[in-house]
Amino acid sequence: MLTTILTAPVLPAPGVIAASQSNGELFLLAGPGGAALLYFTLWRYYRNTDKSHSFERETRIQAQPITGGDGKVSEVTGTRSKRIDGENGADHRERVQRLP
Amino acid sequence: MTTLPPPGEPRPLPPPPPTIDTENKRLDHGVNRCPKCGSTEIQLRPSVGMLVCLFCRHEWTEARLDETVANGDLSALQGTTVASGAADIDTGAGTLVTMKCAGCGAEVVVNTAGQMSARCHWCRHVLTVNEQVPNGAVPDAVLPFSITHADALAKITAFAAKRRMFANRAFLREFRPENVVGVYLPYMVIDSRASADVSGFGEIETRRYTRGTGNNKVTYYDADVYQVHRHVDFTVDDLTIEASAERADQNTSVNTNNVINTILPFDTENAVKWNASYLTGFTSEKRDQDVSHLVPALEHQLLSIARSEVAPSLGAYDRGVRWEQERLAVHGTRWLAMYLPVWLYSYHHVERGKGMVHYIAVNGRTGEVMGSVPVSHARLLVAALAVGTVVEAIVIAFLAAS
Repeated sequence: MLTTILTAPVLPAPGVIAASQSNGELFLLAGPGGAALLYFTLWRYYRNTDKSHSFERETRIQAQPITGGDGKVSEVTGTRSKRIDGENGADHRERVQRLP
Repeated sequence: MTTLPPPGEPRPLPPPPPTIDTENKRLDHGVNRCPKCGSTEIQLRPSVGMLVCLFCRHEWTEARLDETVANGDLSALQGTTVASGAADIDTGAGTLVTMKCAGCGAEVVVNTAGQMSARCHWCRHVLTVNEQVPNGAVPDAVLPFSITHADALAKITAFAAKRRMFANRAFLREFRPENVVGVYLPYMVIDSRASADVSGFGEIETRRYTRGTGNNKVTYYDADVYQVHRHVDFTVDDLTIEASAERADQNTSVNTNNVINTILPFDTENAVKWNASYLTGFTSEKRDQDVSHLVPALEHQLLSIARSEVAPSLGAYDRGVRWEQERLAVHGTRWLAMYLPVWLYSYHHVERGKGMVHYIAVNGRTGEVMGSVPVSHARLLVAALAVGTVVEAIVIAFLAAS
């Protein structure tokens, strides 16, 4: 919320952003963006709200060799996205549909 | 949507839960004496992890639980095994335990919600709670403090010192690290054997190209899409989960319990059989969660571990993987209740009418420290605006020049 307050007075109006795609005008966001980033980074350094026990790495685990399969099912062409949609391969704690 | 293969053989109904008896038969409720001189003035000496008689200085320790309870091979773990100290709590059992003093016959009451011993008000003997009462106050084992009060004080002071500049001014004014308290917190320590399956899609980039000119250049990607399935069988030794509903609530918008969670793990393999004398001079929090309450948390952690274990096999998918389905089969679990040692500094901070207790916690065995320090929003705002203004001025100067 505070970051919104921070950035609000110095951001160009939405219409201006939409109208202009030039790099020069995007650079103008560096000031408010940097301020918001610094605020959030410092706040998190003090409050440590993102910290928790890394039980995935800090517990004694013995796993058998991984098995499984991979099969090509389709192709994607001409996407502008650098990563797969909905990527969660590294978000181990994000639960997906649980099968019985 | 991907589909996981059907589960293997049908799972048989679990047998009645076997129990491991961990009660320390040598000790009773009430007076427990030094084996050498008979005094009841016994407490922990953290620097050596031993009980010490304050009268004759004799030192001794209880046996490690791992030496007295058959641990078994985790790869053969089957069904649910619950140790006697982790048994379901009798909701009718109160927190007050009344003991008869063997020294003078007086009846002494202990509130096990926060203490496990009391001094007889007549003859001054120390009475301790050692029998496994059904209110969850006596666990299977205790891991004694090995970090001293002085060590904890130094670590908390150093932690706070690194966070002075943007700390709330009232927090700094009222900072009294000597008020750190040693607390034994209740945990379930769980051995598990499980299998997990995960399935989803992964993408491998096949082509990258740009279209347009000048400032309108856009990069496009082509990729092959694969259906991905992984299976892993694994065992986990001593997974540690909070056995207090209050501590298990780690909603960081209303509490700072996550910092206590962060100082895990403990060397739980060194936990010793219960003896309430280890708690003398410290406080404790009583367990209020049964095995059934903690199964969802255990399954969440086992699934997370499975996902972490299969991650190294996904290196080929340079555009990442999207898991869509997962399945967990827990073949066997073994549950032990333990008191684990934490040094806690707490500060109650009220902001816009909303109070929150900020903890700085030190692991009473490893010395790992983590905490939450309330911030001065005004100072943060000034720093952020100053940096933002400088960055913006540089950008404007750069744009004007170019």
